[in-house]
Amino acid sequence: MSTLVAPSAPVPPAPAAALERGNSLWHDAWLRLRKNRLAVFGAVTLIVVSLACFLGPFFSPYGYEDQNLDLGASAPSAQHWLGTDTLGRDLLVRLLYGGRVSLGVGLAATVVALTIGVVYGAVAGYFGGKLDAAMMRIVDIMYSLPFTIFVILLMVFFGRNIILLFVAIGAVEWLTMARIVRGQVMSVKRMEFIEAARSLGFGKRRLIFRHILPNVLGPIIVYTTLTIPGVMLLEAFLSFLGLGVQPPMSSWGVLIKDGAEKMEEFHWLLIFPGTVFSLTLFSLNFLGDGLRDALDVRSSKD
Amino acid sequence: MLNRPPFLVLAALAVLAGCKKSENTGSPAAGQTPGAQAQVLHLGNGTEPQDLDPQIVTGVPENKIVNALFEGLVAYGPNGQGTVPAAAARWTISPDGLVYTFYLQPEGRWSNGDPVTAQHFVRSYQRLLTPSLAAEYANKLFPVVGAEEFYRGQLSDFSQTGFKAIDPSTLQITLKRRTSFLLESMKHYAWFPVHIPTVEKFGGLDRKGTAWTRVGNLVGNGPFILKEWSMQQRLVADKSPTYWDRAAVKLNQIVFYPTENIETEERMFRTGQLHKTNEMPLDKTDVYRREQPESLRIDPLLGIYFYRINTTRPPLNDKRVRKALALAINREQLVEKVTRQSQIPAYSACPPMEAFTSPARLSGDLDEARRLLAEAGYPGGKGLRKIDLLYNTSQNHKKIAEAIQQMWRVNLGVEVGLMNQEWKVYLDSQDTLNYDLCRAGWIADYVDPNTFFDLWRTGDGNNDTGFANPEYDRMLEQALNAPTQADRMAIYAKMDALLMDEVPIIPIYFYTRTYAMNPKVNYPVNLVETPNWKFIYLKE
Repeated sequence: MSTLVAPSAPVPPAPAAALERGNSLWHDAWLRLRKNRLAVFGAVTLIVVSLACFLGPFFSPYGYEDQNLDLGASAPSAQHWLGTDTLGRDLLVRLLYGGRVSLGVGLAATVVALTIGVVYGAVAGYFGGKLDAAMMRIVDIMYSLPFTIFVILLMVFFGRNIILLFVAIGAVEWLTMARIVRGQVMSVKRMEFIEAARSLGFGKRRLIFRHILPNVLGPIIVYTTLTIPGVMLLEAFLSFLGLGVQPPMSSWGVLIKDGAEKMEEFHWLLIFPGTVFSLTLFSLNFLGDGLRDALDVRSSKD
Repeated sequence: MLNRPPFLVLAALAVLAGCKKSENTGSPAAGQTPGAQAQVLHLGNGTEPQDLDPQIVTGVPENKIVNALFEGLVAYGPNGQGTVPAAAARWTISPDGLVYTFYLQPEGRWSNGDPVTAQHFVRSYQRLLTPSLAAEYANKLFPVVGAEEFYRGQLSDFSQTGFKAIDPSTLQITLKRRTSFLLESMKHYAWFPVHIPTVEKFGGLDRKGTAWTRVGNLVGNGPFILKEWSMQQRLVADKSPTYWDRAAVKLNQIVFYPTENIETEERMFRTGQLHKTNEMPLDKTDVYRREQPESLRIDPLLGIYFYRINTTRPPLNDKRVRKALALAINREQLVEKVTRQSQIPAYSACPPMEAFTSPARLSGDLDEARRLLAEAGYPGGKGLRKIDLLYNTSQNHKKIAEAIQQMWRVNLGVEVGLMNQEWKVYLDSQDTLNYDLCRAGWIADYVDPNTFFDLWRTGDGNNDTGFANPEYDRMLEQALNAPTQADRMAIYAKMDALLMDEVPIIPIYFYTRTYAMNPKVNYPVNLVETPNWKFIYLKE
């Protein structure tokens, strides 16, 4: 990762932590984040989009499944702010409902991936040796499992279910995270400040979670911000195969796919979902970038 | 597929953008469609064929390919109608209409050089009727003496049946009863011969899906030979050097593309990679009407678009529920607003044709539908479990299904889930009755109402609904024995009425075939989508 500076010059957070009861990392990070305009813009946009998706549909006179076949596809108008699709369904409300699914899948799967991946990678990286070898072989084996077949297997056993989508995606997304964290932990654990902490007699748990992990947050955050959009696209891909959300439910992936097929005739069906989707992804990336700068004590400038 | 996220993201992006390219490795079609001199026809063929064994396949995509690789005794004429000699040079019919004698083409050759003999036909028919093969189209041969008995295992000596090879070039077929549509039905691939030694060599006569249909193994008697079959990419057939009428074959090569994604197919047509598409996206029809009407073809097609109902599963085993579902679809609205390709709303099980227009009609209004549902114990859809509607992956089917799903929800309060499957999986789900409701289409095998009514016979290979009604089977038999054409049609009318009362299927519309075609292609309209490839060519 290019965000790492030379390992010879770590700035240990430990001394400050000892004096200020250890919350200065997050406090400093918050102060630094606030100064980053793009990151603030990203955060605000995300909040607005999320609120709109979760509250918006309550204020709409239409449901995501209400059709108006006589109307058919219509351009944006006073009745339908973003127009309607070819079955006469209101695009705005479908976009908001789709956002629920997409954001939900993105968030849930990423949290799962983050939790499992970070813990797993940190443990493997820290202990090394045979435990590491065994743990990483398990990851390799899971890597080699074809994803679509894995999902189909899950469906055979548990039936068609949206929760399954979260589980399936989360269950495979943590693998890469574990690898990244393991590599970072292995490089950090040999640094002097870890030696120092160890010589103070701290336990393994404290070493891993309080001393090593904060120093590998940068790559984790960057990768997380990449995972969320990746997961959203994955959901679209699965829906296309008939394994994800089922019609008439919508998700951003589904809306964009449908829109792309009809863009020559009904361009608004692609433009609006595409814009909202891109805006969300940009915001996530800005926020992630800002978070990394704010949290990564070594790569930040102040 | 690998699990690496960047790869998946890319794959997903490709799907999102809808630009899933078909990989024409080394295809001459990349870029521009070659001109008429090359006489190479590129066409979208719907889905990847299930198989190429004419005694096994059942789908329309397979029909087109099988007609290129094999040839029956008779075939459709140059304008897509009438009857012309094919593997048989001429034939005679006895005055009582029971004995057909076919004299085979003296030059008839298989693609490996063997002459096509009457014995080949007899052994092919024996294979089709072998009970252990369980061919879905075995019933096509049932008009022949002993065929049904042999198929049911009541007759074990095939020489007792009405199929006789008088000498190597004379085939005699004796019927149980006068069957006015026999020649018509013989244009269907169930009557095509297969090269028995080849089938035997690769796994045996009574096995399905063996390697005999692979490139290099397949031996056919049709105007084209199989040159390449790349799964999910393309299937190439070259002009046959051994075909008896090779001088009349104008195309040098036909390239069939599996085009399950009709949006991609339309795009391939627009970029000149295809001469003809299999279908037309519903949303594109109006664009073509407006911008390039010369490339838009809407052909009449003898077929019905319907939903099969699994009559063995509760709550669909209750005919009141089935009828309620059937009545709650607004077909006029569907055809005018959703499909928009000049289809005819269907209220009966048989599309109108020259000889027969069914007077039967699915009748009743929405109130009637709601009343029936309430009578069955589900007032307003309450208490009804969630029913799944299965369709094969396609934008058009999805759009229709979404519209109907909503009609059922609004009109009846019935919740229906949509489920799509890839073609082969979908066919398998239908065959094994592993569905609740299932989208289906039936294109006539030959131009006669019998092809639509035969389907719902108890245990028919293509019934796939669990519908079994002795009264219906009796009438079907009666119709075949009917002394006059008018009597036969009267019985069909009664059968249709029975179907519309029992509702094992929900008729939706009668097909038209809408597709895009390069105006340079000479492609005769055929009511049952059975091309006679030697009459198809690229105009200068």
